[in-house]
Amino acid sequence: MIEHLAPQLFNGLVLGAFYAIVALGLSLIMNLTGTINMAHGSFMTLAGYLAYTLVQRGVPFWFVLIAAPVITVLVGVFVERGLVRPLYKREPFYSLLMTFGLSLIAEEIFRLIWGSNGVPFSPPAALAGAASLGFMSFPIFRIFIAAVLIVAIVALALFLTRTRFGLRLRAAVQDTEMIAALGTNTQVLYAVNFGLGIFLAGIAGVLAAGMLGLSPTSGNALLMPAFVTVIIGGMGSLFGSIVGGMLIGIAISMTTLFIPAASEVSMYVLMAIVLLVRPRGLFGEEGIFG
Amino acid sequence: MNARSGTVGAAVILVLLAAAPLLSPLIHLDVSIVTEVLVTALAVMSVNLLLGYTGLPAFGNAAYFGLGAYGAGLSVKYFHVDFVAAVVIGTLAALAGGLLLAPFLLRRRGIYFGLLSIAFGQVFYFVAYRYTDVTGGEDGMNFPRPPVGLGHVSINETAFYYVALAVFIACVFAFRSVVRSPFGWTLIAIRQNEVRVRYLGLNTDRFIFVALLISSTMAGLGGALFSLLINFAYPLELDWHQSGFFVLMMILGGAGTVWGSLVGAFIYVIGKDIISTITPLWQIVLGALFVACVLGFPRGIVGTIGALRAARTGAPDDDASAAFDANAPVEVGRGV
Repeated sequence: MIEHLAPQLFNGLVLGAFYAIVALGLSLIMNLTGTINMAHGSFMTLAGYLAYTLVQRGVPFWFVLIAAPVITVLVGVFVERGLVRPLYKREPFYSLLMTFGLSLIAEEIFRLIWGSNGVPFSPPAALAGAASLGFMSFPIFRIFIAAVLIVAIVALALFLTRTRFGLRLRAAVQDTEMIAALGTNTQVLYAVNFGLGIFLAGIAGVLAAGMLGLSPTSGNALLMPAFVTVIIGGMGSLFGSIVGGMLIGIAISMTTLFIPAASEVSMYVLMAIVLLVRPRGLFGEEGIFG
Repeated sequence: MNARSGTVGAAVILVLLAAAPLLSPLIHLDVSIVTEVLVTALAVMSVNLLLGYTGLPAFGNAAYFGLGAYGAGLSVKYFHVDFVAAVVIGTLAALAGGLLLAPFLLRRRGIYFGLLSIAFGQVFYFVAYRYTDVTGGEDGMNFPRPPVGLGHVSINETAFYYVALAVFIACVFAFRSVVRSPFGWTLIAIRQNEVRVRYLGLNTDRFIFVALLISSTMAGLGGALFSLLINFAYPLELDWHQSGFFVLMMILGGAGTVWGSLVGAFIYVIGKDIISTITPLWQIVLGALFVACVLGFPRGIVGTIGALRAARTGAPDDDASAAFDANAPVEVGRGV
């Protein structure tokens, strides 16, 4: 049993790290501006395809891992300034609709450029193969993914808690008007915050392309678990997103082992149970988002 | 819309609808497309009650629509029930879904409600998608169109249209009397300022609970008729994309208006039918429509007509869409 259970558990944790990092990006954007970014999956897919194209052209994978998300961020900030910004003063569901429309457009553009069927995107040779962990062997690329995602999450945490800008960002979530009155340019804050969320999506997108495949809709497959992650972790809590992601990853991988057909449904069952016990999610605070 | 011109407008729409089977061949439309408009409009109305009137971002109503579709489909496929029973069973399935989810959705507002409705709505999608033995999974499931009653009266496309029209008209007038009743005014008041409504001594949760049930029932009725129309049920009916399309239709026609749902459904369904034959890029057109509506046309067609009329005649604009002032500032940040 252990030889089945351990790799599957590790798989679940890697998957959970994906959900966590996607949910963190969603949460950042949601907490500051109340925008539910339905195009988050599209940005992941975009980063994946950019990485694929760059690697095709012979750019080394290590460089692409940073370059593809950065280009995606530029696109993201452009979209945020041009299309999402006019909606900040309106009811939040307008921006949800807007980003939903954008995701439809993006999906079709991916089809036009890269075809409908998805493309093979394999990690570099250095990361191929499997590592023996004594009691089990595990693909090196997945270990690498887990490491990168953990580094990204730690970097984000340090950025938010240890830099002036991160402090301002968190203050703006508490009270945007006050931070503006104290002389912070909130428009810059919005743009950088959105970019940060997209950067996380970009990194996840490049790595997910190597592990879960790359097709016009591949990013959207991670979007719904990320929503559930936010709900389980509690809206407004970034720490909650990390815990929630791990919980869902484990729930899905364990269900896949025992009842494969119920793998997706398991996260909703988990969500329902959490909400019955804690209506605001595990770490949701009173007063945030009702 | 003031009462008299609103009545004239409604009468014109009803006459056109009654004559649709005669008119549609003239513009090379199949009558079943117009039927599809009617049953889709039911689902759009269900979103309108929650979002257009009550201000709750209902992004999960495809779940109820799909429950209606599968409820009708499964009962025909496995239990060979007749047409009326299939519609009733589908509608009740959606109502049951509403009862199941309402306790979770009820306690949250704003984007939290939106998130929850998207997430919980998706449960049914995965059940239909994965429960292949019963539902046919990703491929959906076929079933024959059942006859009516024991007399085995079969229903052709024109007859189906009139059945759908009768249901639609009953629903429109029921909807109209709901949103123009004290109950409906309370829903509108909840959208404008829920705290104040609570201070007036009303239990807003209770109002929202009833609105959720009305909404899920209506969406289920639309879904049941839709699946009987195309003799098919498929998982994408339950998907959150479909919920988004319903919301788009609502905005397009006019949020918080009685007839907006029909206008929005008409443009979307007919537009999709025509555009997707012209260009394979229908999805880009659709996405652009989202962007354009949100940025430039938040009151929709019926809402804009009402506003223009109110401006011209000086009469008060008593559509709920009047409260849908797109430029009303919303406090950004905590508690949005």
